[in-house]
Amino acid sequence: MNLEKASKPTRRGYSDRMLEYGSIDKDFTVFDADIGYSTYACLFGEAFPERYFNMGIAEMNMVSAAAGMANSGRTVVVSSYGVFLTMRAVEPVRSFICYPNLNVKLLSSHGGLTAAIDGVTHQATEDIAIMTTFPNMKVLCPSDPKAAEKLFDVSMQTPGPFFTRLMRDPLFDVYGDDEEFVLGGSKTLRKGSDITIAAYGDIVFQALEAAELLTAQGIDAEVLDLYSLKPYDKEAVLASVKKTGAMLVAENHQAKNGMGYEIAHLLLKHCPVPFDNAGLEDMFAESGDYPSIIHKYGLSAEKLAGRAAAVVQMKKEN
Amino acid sequence: MEQQRTIQKRVRYLEEKAKEVRVEIVKMIHEAQSGHPGGSLSAADIMTALYFDILRIDPNKPEWPDRDRFVLSKGHACPVWYACLALKGFFPIETLKTLRKFESKLQGHPIAGKAEGIDASVGSLGIGFSQAVGMAIEAKMTRSKYMVYTVLGDGETNEGIVWEAAASAHKYHLDNLVAVLDRNNLQNDGIAEQIMPMEPLDEKFKAFNWHVIQINGHNMADVVDALMKAGDYSGKPVIIIANTEKGKGVSYMENVRGWHGKPPNDEQLAIALEDLKGSLK
Repeated sequence: MNLEKASKPTRRGYSDRMLEYGSIDKDFTVFDADIGYSTYACLFGEAFPERYFNMGIAEMNMVSAAAGMANSGRTVVVSSYGVFLTMRAVEPVRSFICYPNLNVKLLSSHGGLTAAIDGVTHQATEDIAIMTTFPNMKVLCPSDPKAAEKLFDVSMQTPGPFFTRLMRDPLFDVYGDDEEFVLGGSKTLRKGSDITIAAYGDIVFQALEAAELLTAQGIDAEVLDLYSLKPYDKEAVLASVKKTGAMLVAENHQAKNGMGYEIAHLLLKHCPVPFDNAGLEDMFAESGDYPSIIHKYGLSAEKLAGRAAAVVQMKKEN
Repeated sequence: MEQQRTIQKRVRYLEEKAKEVRVEIVKMIHEAQSGHPGGSLSAADIMTALYFDILRIDPNKPEWPDRDRFVLSKGHACPVWYACLALKGFFPIETLKTLRKFESKLQGHPIAGKAEGIDASVGSLGIGFSQAVGMAIEAKMTRSKYMVYTVLGDGETNEGIVWEAAASAHKYHLDNLVAVLDRNNLQNDGIAEQIMPMEPLDEKFKAFNWHVIQINGHNMADVVDALMKAGDYSGKPVIIIANTEKGKGVSYMENVRGWHGKPPNDEQLAIALEDLKGSLK
């Protein structure tokens, strides 16, 4: 699969669409915590200053004030980094957005180790575990800018709270203008018969490359892009695993309590097969360039290919 | 002269109403055998003035778009809120007996949409204040005329978010926001100024560019006067620092630390009702 270098990161795709959407839907507002020039929410703020509220470097107050406005029924987009939204402001997100099921859409940049260069304080590597655990919360993670645009629309057009994990840096473009994205959907980006590799966000590209590497070993891998994490596409996962008989879940997140655990639980109940999941192994990462960091922490294509080959070997030995 | 008499009549009416509110507070907490009497009683005069004099609300139309909004940021004191809502007619008085019970609309800490008249979910200190800021921004943005009122506890000002919210209320010139600080100087573990010294609270809020009014929170004439002035004040958010007594109106609870979150037993209920009956005369 030859992929085009992406012209922009997913955070920019999301915010570009938010700017366009501002003329379509004249009712929603955006709250920011002095990070608009990083999430690109500033674009909306420049176009619609009367609907943009920069609450300063005070995430808990920003999220709570957004909840106050959303109490009226209004849709509010809240922009920050994943670490701050999911940890500093976690309680108002849980008790005052998820519990009352408000129309608050969390724009969460710097997901996983895509903020590699910023170091651990800025790497949201537990965000999916935290956000998928709250009742009423729906969780999305686009892998490319086009998916980010489309998934912004999905979040705006579906009632209730959403968390959308976005990336710091541009990676690749996989989707064209006519791709459809739905809540609870997935994309099969590569068909294969020996193992399923399920990934989301930036790791989709490592999974695709791993699948290419695996062909040299005679392994034919299927690659799923789980762009919707809660709800996620259980039918597609089960259908793929029933065909391939093996599963590797790869995610830029702690290995514990992420989609790997979620899918392991599904497979145990419905389709037990040789399984592994790749993520941070109960550890923090560090600063550095993105390719070096994801390789060191087991998420590069090369590392994923090794993990996948071992799972296929387990299948053979069974 | 005529106006003076009308105000005196209003104040007398509110004083009587506040006694009814206090009776309902102790009865419902006794019935539930759980809840927070001390901070409910200290806020009873403030809440009565709001619900029976100040707020533009209609119990028959709890979702009326132009209604004034109210947020009890010190959400644990919800018995006083529930008592006011029931006595005002938002739901039957009988409902108060279900406080904290299985499948009741009167949750241990109030949830928007569960009971009529609850505009925001509260219970985690500081967050109600921030929500009130968001609601006041909403009113400004939509050029709506309604006011947003919120009542805070003094222990609650220990929370950093209170000061984040105070700064943002100044930024957006929220003169449609009125906060009342129930300064009873007792929190869960003891005397508020010993647990965490917050004085001078008036100077702190002034430094955050709020207009500050200080009153005796149990003098109904002062409470009404301050709330009216606060509602008319323009250019800045207003905070009324109301000096109160925790447990006010029940002899053995007044200024006693242990009555933050403890229900009265049968005997204590009888004494409380006798105290409140006595004060009715």
